[in-house]
Amino acid sequence: MIIGIDRRLLQNVDWPLLGAVLGLVALSTATLANLNVVRIGGGVVVRQLLWVGVGIVALVLVASVDYRRLVRLGPALYLGGLAGLAVVLVVGRTVSGARRWIGVGPVTVQPAELFKIAFLLMLVWFLVSRWAQPPTLGILALLLPIVAVPFGLIVRQPDLGTALLLWPLLIAMLVGAGVRFRLLGGLLVAGLAALPLAWLALRDYQRERIMVYLDPVRDPQGTAYNVIQAKIAIGSGQLLGKGIAGATQSRLAFLPERHTDFIFAVFAEMWGFLGCLVLLVCYALLLVRGFDIAAAAREPVGRLVALGATCLLAAQILINVGMVTGLLPVVGIPLPFMSYGGSSMLVSMTALGLLLSVRMRQFQ
Amino acid sequence: MMRRRFGATYWRPASERSDVGKGRITAIAAVVLVAFCFVIGQLWYLQVLEGGHFLDASDKNRLRIRPVAAPRGVLFDRHGVPLVDNRPAFTLSLIPRELPRDPDERDAVLGRVAALIRIPFQELADSVARVASDSFLPVRVRRGLALEDMAKIEEWKLELPGVIVEVEPQRTYPSSRFAAHLLGYVREASDEQLRQGRYRRGDMVGQSGLERLLDEHLRGRDGGERIEVDALGRPVRVIQQSEPQPGAEVVTTVDRRIQEAAEAAMEGKAGAVVVMDPRSGDVLAMVSTPAFPIDRFTGTIDRAAWMRVVQDPNYPLLNRTIQSQYAPGSVFKIVITAAGLQERILAPLDQVYCTGEFTLGTGTFRDWKPEGHGEVDLQRALVDSCNIYYYQAGLKIGGPVMAKYARMFGLGRATGIDLAGERFGLLPRPQLRRGRENWLLGDVVNISIGQGPVLVTPIQVGTFMSAIANGGVLWKPRLVQRIERRDREVLWSDPGRVTGHVELSPVVWGFLRRSLVAVVEDGTGVPARIPGLEIAGKTGTAQMFANSRADRGQDHAWFAAYAPARDPEVVVVVLVERGGRGGQVAAPIARKILNAIFFEKVAAVEHAG
Repeated sequence: MIIGIDRRLLQNVDWPLLGAVLGLVALSTATLANLNVVRIGGGVVVRQLLWVGVGIVALVLVASVDYRRLVRLGPALYLGGLAGLAVVLVVGRTVSGARRWIGVGPVTVQPAELFKIAFLLMLVWFLVSRWAQPPTLGILALLLPIVAVPFGLIVRQPDLGTALLLWPLLIAMLVGAGVRFRLLGGLLVAGLAALPLAWLALRDYQRERIMVYLDPVRDPQGTAYNVIQAKIAIGSGQLLGKGIAGATQSRLAFLPERHTDFIFAVFAEMWGFLGCLVLLVCYALLLVRGFDIAAAAREPVGRLVALGATCLLAAQILINVGMVTGLLPVVGIPLPFMSYGGSSMLVSMTALGLLLSVRMRQFQ
Repeated sequence: MMRRRFGATYWRPASERSDVGKGRITAIAAVVLVAFCFVIGQLWYLQVLEGGHFLDASDKNRLRIRPVAAPRGVLFDRHGVPLVDNRPAFTLSLIPRELPRDPDERDAVLGRVAALIRIPFQELADSVARVASDSFLPVRVRRGLALEDMAKIEEWKLELPGVIVEVEPQRTYPSSRFAAHLLGYVREASDEQLRQGRYRRGDMVGQSGLERLLDEHLRGRDGGERIEVDALGRPVRVIQQSEPQPGAEVVTTVDRRIQEAAEAAMEGKAGAVVVMDPRSGDVLAMVSTPAFPIDRFTGTIDRAAWMRVVQDPNYPLLNRTIQSQYAPGSVFKIVITAAGLQERILAPLDQVYCTGEFTLGTGTFRDWKPEGHGEVDLQRALVDSCNIYYYQAGLKIGGPVMAKYARMFGLGRATGIDLAGERFGLLPRPQLRRGRENWLLGDVVNISIGQGPVLVTPIQVGTFMSAIANGGVLWKPRLVQRIERRDREVLWSDPGRVTGHVELSPVVWGFLRRSLVAVVEDGTGVPARIPGLEIAGKTGTAQMFANSRADRGQDHAWFAAYAPARDPEVVVVVLVERGGRGGQVAAPIARKILNAIFFEKVAAVEHAG
């Protein structure tokens, strides 16, 4: 099955998409290489490249399998993912107050990251099932526990960013699945009405982050520090950037989380507005190709898989860049293909594999 | 083939008819692209519109100015011997930004410091509270740290984040109270001075004496280093460095050997000594006792010690040579004698029989010698300081003429010495009582022996005595010869200034000199006599309500002298507060000083060589 890839499939590989991604990986590696962040067990760059390799293997594997097979496995993967989320709450490694990682041999993985793919496949499985047609309110009500259970488990870690990410993904999938707009509108209104309840469920530090978003000078040495330092780093890059040596905010460690969630600020400081444009054009190219694949798909399963994979990437990119530039409150979400982190790279590559899989089989 | 397999399972995807098509995909893509435009707009705002502002902010993050204190200029005596010097001293400082941010942890660190080197905790907390909590500038909390305290801090370093020991130049003095009033103390700029805006917190500023007067020259210019630091405030590299400019050096007129001799002679007494060179007005020594511990004032003095000094009933902060006014007592008889002879009111051979008592109207004025001096002429009266003679002479001369001559000798006005806070003394103006027919006769009688409404400062007596010694030239007392940079370039020099002349006929000068020599040879000034040195001088006893015997010991004792009498080189003025009789108390002190000046010189030079 895996080995026997049809030669016709290879003719339909989306090379511009892959090109955009390789460009992003190159920019990421170059940025990480100039941050001189030291981690136990080898340099950040080496580890990141290892994960890129692992990700490419996953990409090839996923692309070579018919996505419909994967969708069929959706419920099983989803349940496995839930199990992973439950396990991490019990045996997970705690890093700075959050229990997000599980050690597997020499590496640590984030179940919540990997869960995104399982969640995506589960949603597709649900929405394109023949018994779910047409998607009425009664049918959609069944989705509530499917979203709420993992959401609750991820928030418990706590990892609000990843948990929140489930919602835009769900909305995009509902739109793509042909749910009537009136019904969607009603659901959105109901969701907004439930927000005050969500506020009560938030932890103090999460509330504080939202307050800081609304009022950045609230506590310059505390919670707002990240936001302020990120803005300084980005702004001081000006039009052309300060170059590698001149990127003092990044290199002198004023910027926290600079190799992970805030890597965009590092990039912006080094390469300025024009560099950011290049980066954003790469991302836009990636997403436009993704939407194109969804649009070109001739049947609903492929369309929804492609849409879901694209929206998963789009949501992470926009939320991350939005929070780093101060447009959104700070929630911990990595920037796909740029941030250091194995699980994130693996998930992004897998999403890419799904896109390629759909593209390669669009004429079948 | 594939589709059939799916169809065979429990899961059957929806038919293609239910597919919504491209429209909704395009709508989602459009939303995403609009969001991208928002991001680009924000980047344009941050990087292009506000970029300069954020660039400044990033520089402010990474760049720190670390001040490097300029060594304060050194003050030298007239022979190039330092009066004060600098030595490296340990300073305990706190860096607010590096102290723990949590208030409890921060208090724990301050508490450890307080316990280690025995500083009140509140003092530490207050000094940190005064500055911004994210400041990287060290706050100096204790200067002049003892070696063992420094060792303790270093030993506990790991438990004391934000606590550092700096090395700074600090003033050091030959002895604890050496020339305290003359030099003045140096202390951290006070809150009041900070408000004036000329100083930064932690600057060392001259607060009194020459240190204050010449502060601008002495302090030099602090250097600084622009350093790049990382987020933890650790220096990464020095970007720019400007060397501190050391303060200028000051060559004073003081002779350290004479100053030390005078201080030693005044040991245990309250009062003042002025030693001047009558040929130039140079101040060779200036002593005010009791003095304050100048070395402790320069470091960090605790509040209790400070209050002890400020509330001391002997006023150790007062510079008695220029800030205290005393009745001149019989020293004033020199003025009366000069006035009477020059105005031809007195004749040297006029005789008066002194019974020890003088009656004016209903009042009785006494001589200091109850049994009287018997038959005295003018010279005898001056030599033995006969009051009865001068009562009558004063009445003959009259108040206006006495006041005129006193003013001519520089009394009743500031000498113009280069120290802040000089008092003018007190002298009735000749036209003081113009509205009346006459001066009050009682005042005239009192003034004629230097009591009543006449007050002088020791430095005024110094200039006055110098004028007697040099034949009538009133010099402004000179303290500073020149100020020069380290490379010997002279920034400022004082050529000396004459503030007045005393015009007396040569006969009068001759009479005064002979009489003043006789005072020391066989008069009231005999205790000052030194074989082999001809000294001219005059004793004085400034009475304080001295009509009862119990108050006798409360009189201020004066002795003003110059030597050698034929070719005067030095004038020595001694005042001892509540010392008793001038001849018995002040004259022996002058003798010690003169002895040191003229007979210990060679020994000292040999010693130095």
